Amino acid sequence: MSRYLRQVWALAAKDLRVEFRTRERFVAMAAFVVLTSLLFNYAVDWTLLNPRDIASALIWMIIVLGGLLGLGRTFELEKEDGAMEGLLVAPLPRDALFLGKVIANCVLLGLVEVLAVLVVSLFFQVDFTQNWLAIGAVLLVGTIGFVSLGTLFSGITAGTRMGETLLPVLLFPLLVPLVAFGASSTASLLAGFPPAVVYGSLRILAAFSILALVSGVGLFRFIVEE
Amino acid sequence: MSLRSIRQSVLILGFLGVSLTLLFHWMVFFWVSTEATLGISQRIFYIHVAGMWTGMLAFIVVAVCSAMYLWLRDDRLDQIGRAAAEGGLVFFAVGLTAGPLWARLAWGTWWTWEPRLTLSLLAWFIYIGYLLVRGATENPEKGKTFAAVIGVIAAVNIPLIHVSVLWFRSLHPEPVVVRQDGPALPPDMLITMLTALLAWTILLFALVLLRYGAARLEARAEELALDQGTTT
Repeated sequence: MSRYLRQVWALAAKDLRVEFRTRERFVAMAAFVVLTSLLFNYAVDWTLLNPRDIASALIWMIIVLGGLLGLGRTFELEKEDGAMEGLLVAPLPRDALFLGKVIANCVLLGLVEVLAVLVVSLFFQVDFTQNWLAIGAVLLVGTIGFVSLGTLFSGITAGTRMGETLLPVLLFPLLVPLVAFGASSTASLLAGFPPAVVYGSLRILAAFSILALVSGVGLFRFIVEE
Repeated sequence: MSLRSIRQSVLILGFLGVSLTLLFHWMVFFWVSTEATLGISQRIFYIHVAGMWTGMLAFIVVAVCSAMYLWLRDDRLDQIGRAAAEGGLVFFAVGLTAGPLWARLAWGTWWTWEPRLTLSLLAWFIYIGYLLVRGATENPEKGKTFAAVIGVIAAVNIPLIHVSVLWFRSLHPEPVVVRQDGPALPPDMLITMLTALLAWTILLFALVLLRYGAARLEARAEELALDQGTTT
């Protein structure tokens, strides 16, 4: 077991190290988050809407769209120089490869989410401090499900001619439970309700994420086989 | 199944399915009694429900074939899955078209974010993806595997469609045919409903077999072309 965990960690660390040195995906996602928020400012008439009412919708849509940008390039690195073949002949289980990718993507998307929350609170004067722990928990649980499905489908789209354009078609229909329960519980928390109000939604989110992670672990081997 | 028996089955099932479809349309328009509160618009119910049920059945076939394809790697399973996905899309499209028409009259709105309706639309898009992914891969074997993976993940979604009506409070009526204390429909409505279900289930099998036979022929044509390429 510890050997398996070491393998997963080695793969995640490799991806994070590459990302830390190039910062390609993070810079693209971070710029996307800031610029989308900026465009939203001009798209919405703030005399008609209270920023707090749509803050959770903004956060979740920015995360989903920005996340899509980064998740779509999960296997971009492996396309070059036969790196994928190199990983596949390495003596490690295929699900370890998947979990490594999921962990690296979760860390990356987590950083982007922190930035998204900061930007939305700065631009639209939304106060996240009140229920910050519960909001963080909702985002964390949702991220695991989103990244699991996104990484799995990214493996599929990387093998197609359509590439990243196909990713939203495959991914978005399955994200509905995530966005529905994630955004609604974030909205309740932002409105100042006690965290106990969202436990039901959080449980459904957790069930969704566990299901996504387990199906990813089970199905990933079929996607990368030769 | 040989190609000849496929062709015969398609003819028989197709004839039966089309005849029963004509019969149940006659029943819907002229025979069945009008529902008291909803009036004449309730007659859409037979078409809407039959379309949704048949579509759902097709997608269960896709799910089973996908899972079994990943396990057994038999091309026939993939061909049946693809045929069923195409058939399911057609029947779901009928159900999804009839639904809003009825909703406009019964609820006063074309579309509502009712969970079961929404999830049916999403299921429809998932199977669009299931078919798209095949066309977009250079290696057909890879496309089959990708599609099967999507089919299995989508299968997780189908039960969610069914229970969502219980999870969320909604406008959508409670089940009237499958319930613990027996159907809540008057006998003539139930007979019409069951005829509609039977007609379209048979029609679905005819369509699936037709597409399956075509896929088999395509595969054989490709083999022959390959043989020719190697010998000359």
